[in-house]
Amino acid sequence: MSNQLLRVTGISKSFPGVQALKDVQFELDRGEVLALVGENGAGKSSLMKILSGIYIKDEGSIFLDGVEVDIDSPKTAQALGISIIHQEMNLMAHLTIAQNIFIGREPREGLFLRERALNRKADELLKRLGINLDPKALVETLTVAKQQMVEIAKALSFDAKVLIMDEPTSALTDVETETLFTLIEGLKRTGTGVIYISHRMDELRRITDRVTVLRDGEYIGTLQKEQLDIPTIIEMMVGRHIEESARPTARDRANNEVVLKVEGLNTRQLLKDISFELKRGEILGFAGMMGAGRTEVARAIIGADLSEGGRVHINGKPVKIKRPSDAVAHGIGYLSEDRKAYGLLLEQDVNTNVLLASLRDYTDALGFVHTMKGKQKSREYVASLRIKTPSISATTKNLSGGNQQKVVIAKWLARDCDILIFDEPTRGIDVGAKEEIYKLLNDLVAAGKSIIMISSELPEVLRLSHRIVVMANGRITGILDNEDANQAKIMDYATRMGDEKDL
Amino acid sequence: MKKNIVFLAAAAAISLALAGCSAGGSDAGDAAADTDKPYIALVSKGFQHQFWQAVKSGAESKAAELGVTVTFDGPASETEVDSQLQMLQAAIDKKPDAIGYAALDPEACVSLMDAAKTASIPVVQFDAGCNSDYPLSIAKTDSLGAGALAADHMAELIGGKGEVAIVGHSQINSTGVERRDGFVEQMEAEYPDITIVDIQYGDGDHLKSADIAKAMIAAHPDLKGLYGTNEGSAIGIVNAVGELGLDAGELTVIGFDSGQAQIDAITNGLMAGAITQNPIGIGEATVQAAFDAINGETPEKVIDTGYFWFDKTNMEDAEIAAVLYK
Amino acid sequence: MNATPVTDQTRVGGGTPEPRRSATSFLRAQIQQSLAFATLVVLLVFFSFASSNFFTWSNISGILLSTAVIGILALGTTFVIITGGIDLSIGTGMTLAAVMTGIFLVNLELPLMVGVIGGILTGGLMGFINGFNIAILRLPPFIATLAMMLIAQGLALVISGVRPIYFSSVVGFKDIALGFVIPGLPNAVLILFVLAILAYVLLSKTLLGRYTFAIGSNEEATRLSGVDTRKWKIVIYTVAGLFTGVAGVVIGARLDSAQPQLGTGYELQAIAAVIIGGTSLLGGRGSILGTLIGALIMSVLINGLRIMSIQTEWQNVVIGVVILIAVFTDALRQRRAAS
Repeated sequence: MSNQLLRVTGISKSFPGVQALKDVQFELDRGEVLALVGENGAGKSSLMKILSGIYIKDEGSIFLDGVEVDIDSPKTAQALGISIIHQEMNLMAHLTIAQNIFIGREPREGLFLRERALNRKADELLKRLGINLDPKALVETLTVAKQQMVEIAKALSFDAKVLIMDEPTSALTDVETETLFTLIEGLKRTGTGVIYISHRMDELRRITDRVTVLRDGEYIGTLQKEQLDIPTIIEMMVGRHIEESARPTARDRANNEVVLKVEGLNTRQLLKDISFELKRGEILGFAGMMGAGRTEVARAIIGADLSEGGRVHINGKPVKIKRPSDAVAHGIGYLSEDRKAYGLLLEQDVNTNVLLASLRDYTDALGFVHTMKGKQKSREYVASLRIKTPSISATTKNLSGGNQQKVVIAKWLARDCDILIFDEPTRGIDVGAKEEIYKLLNDLVAAGKSIIMISSELPEVLRLSHRIVVMANGRITGILDNEDANQAKIMDYATRMGDEKDL
Repeated sequence: MKKNIVFLAAAAAISLALAGCSAGGSDAGDAAADTDKPYIALVSKGFQHQFWQAVKSGAESKAAELGVTVTFDGPASETEVDSQLQMLQAAIDKKPDAIGYAALDPEACVSLMDAAKTASIPVVQFDAGCNSDYPLSIAKTDSLGAGALAADHMAELIGGKGEVAIVGHSQINSTGVERRDGFVEQMEAEYPDITIVDIQYGDGDHLKSADIAKAMIAAHPDLKGLYGTNEGSAIGIVNAVGELGLDAGELTVIGFDSGQAQIDAITNGLMAGAITQNPIGIGEATVQAAFDAINGETPEKVIDTGYFWFDKTNMEDAEIAAVLYK
Repeated sequence: MNATPVTDQTRVGGGTPEPRRSATSFLRAQIQQSLAFATLVVLLVFFSFASSNFFTWSNISGILLSTAVIGILALGTTFVIITGGIDLSIGTGMTLAAVMTGIFLVNLELPLMVGVIGGILTGGLMGFINGFNIAILRLPPFIATLAMMLIAQGLALVISGVRPIYFSSVVGFKDIALGFVIPGLPNAVLILFVLAILAYVLLSKTLLGRYTFAIGSNEEATRLSGVDTRKWKIVIYTVAGLFTGVAGVVIGARLDSAQPQLGTGYELQAIAAVIIGGTSLLGGRGSILGTLIGALIMSVLINGLRIMSIQTEWQNVVIGVVILIAVFTDALRQRRAAS
């Protein structure tokens, strides 16, 4: 019996106006982890949607265990043993974990649901997978990371032969990522084939056996584990050479004036005595584990959550920020980690999104909006930020993740914000687009803006930040100059749960 | 969301009314082509109630007799002043030989009366008038008098003293107001020992009127009589009495207009009697007045088509039976 | 039809995200219900003090009877609203079902049971068509059911010949609403309670209920999980239609006639009852018990105001204010839970 589990050849798929996939192929063996990489828009998601029955292929063949199969619906895919964990969270918030996992396959007795059997099955599954969650908890009460674990449990509950994971770790902490990798190791031993899509290059070497690269809907090549070399993969993905830039140093900005000073900020739930300074032209990185309180700091500063006893100074003057509109009035823009939910009007066009925060600048005393002037401004930002869009009237939903992020940035630049708080600016963005976002952040600080960057990716923090604030358990445990910092040191501060503080 | 629903519901009701209008319009188109016959456009307050159906049948039989063509339009409910005005406008635009009109609102129609004047289309009115000098005549029931007659019978039936209450069908349109006021004024003037303890409005909705009547009976245990100002209100009261299991005659119920259910209620004693108008006569008189106007004669300014008290004793009389509708 | 992420996507404008909700919605549903229940108790106590004639068995049974029709409509539409949809056709649909019952029983002289079932199935058929239009033709529920509301209204008038149909010739029909299987409790009220139990079981113990919540929570995710959401939406709207059909039979029996011009406005009262009972118009949350309490709040309030001889005009104002307060306290509580 051949060890080959899945073989896909000559797959093509086109949508009106777009050739999403052209003659794509790959193979997957039993007990193997195959990474599928490529920039956003390279066709990975389309290919996976074909495998999981959401799209129907135009051409090509899919062989499972050597037999050609026809996948015409998600149900068929599930029946064949192909399961997918979607990149977008696809859970029903108002249902419990158990109800989510077994949706569509509820244990029943005639007309009636057997809730107890359902919870027992879910509990067994979660225990087997080493996921410590109560099956009766409602999904809406879970953190993003825990929701992701539920997604994984749901996919694995199908006794999948082939498991597709689309960026499973993008919302996970390092500890949770380790748990996931252990899970994957276990699956490999049982013969499950895993197709793993990720933008995190460091993960590839850690868990994959082979890497297949796609670009612009075409198959570029496959590398064996022993050939894995990250610069080579990136070159295959983007079709050009990417240079690693030097790390910035705190010395560069040491003498710049302080634009934002925060002292003694507390919140009832989490934050304790948060104090730091942000200098003009500086990128101040915020590192820490999930739940350390980094996003909460940003939200407290901009007045989105109630804070207690904190003092905020902007350009040396004390200010009162009670709600986000006050923050915007003081020139602070916050770019949420979840841009689809909080940053963009996905159904609206690029122009509307870019001008959303600054519409008043294009409105005259009578309340009429001067569309032409505004559109001119939008076009300028689209050009200067190199936003890839057919036009400013294209629907934002249709842009890639990186370009959506740029639209959010354009919105705050149009509002003339001098202080920008980026929460996970490159989440869900592919390598090539990440480089562009990095360059953009550097350009912004070079132009005199000041940036707070919250990121869970340590290489990103080290590469961009002049100084790094490390948080743990609602406190700042350390503020490091870039030249003194490395991953190990940051992790050390990030895991200090007690009161010790070392500045 | 809610506002949208209400708005859309209103828009929907209007569009339905317009649909009814355009259906009438196509008839008129055929009629207009038939140049021999004069054409009279009737715009009523409604068409769903039996009362209006009776007016319509009176108008149609008179039209057949006189050799004229009539069309009969009305909004879906008697609250749709606006859509009724659109129907009137459409009627004027069709350039009929005469228009017959029953105003839902006496003021809103004034400008359209001027438009009819400009277009030299004679207008006769029925049931309720418009505050304009232009219309030549009105064929209607003296609602104040009818209300007073109801009061007289109520007083007689309950022995001249005690508590009574009214379930009205509208606090806005003129028939609702006058049938109530005629009753109230007569009680105050002639029967000092009778108190009107409550007046509430059920929009002519049977179910709502039944629930109102039950609440009134619960609130006023000594209540002697209930007066319903139109068919829906009266039937509502009858249903309430039936549901509470009161014996026939325990509470004196007086209704208005006729219809199968009221006739049955009077027959079996749940209702003491009712005031009936002469809807068929209204329809006939309106078409006759319009016909006169077309022929250059001046119809009588006010044509009182009359009203009658009817109960178990006189229901079979030829004069009464002729004006009752089922 | 787009995938909605787990977090609330309705908020616009960058930089003002809401924190993730922390309280469980189960708990919230309980609180909403006890809040609604407390409102009901407060109203009952208030009116009892305001008028000695309020708290009598005859009046209470009158209140329950006046709840029956709106309550039955509200039960069915609770399912639809939990899916995130809306059904505007229940008011006039009820009327059409009553008229069809009249046609079956009075004009065609079919046996009582056959006519009643025919009336209920008329409602079911309308619901099925709504579901088909929404799930297969992908019309927005608001538009599809608005169209059905007009169609039902028109058909009720056409089929009846713009004339009420009287059931006086049909032996036993009136007893469906006004007879007494349980002494002292009119059958219409009994039907309301039996249907409420049935709806409760459907919503919380069966696949239908589970998928109702799933669709309202995240329709795309439900579809991707291999649930045939189109089929289930048709089923859900059909169920709502069957409830509408029962309401049609009950109102016909109570009035002993099918009144073809009734019906508009009943849908808004039913929707108001559902909302007061804590079901979210955004979908995903709701309960049958809440709907029942919501319907009772409406009828207790209306009855109480009538007993106190408050002018009709002011009754409407008071009801409107109560709906505002109910929805506002719900929103307030959600905000509290969030912060």
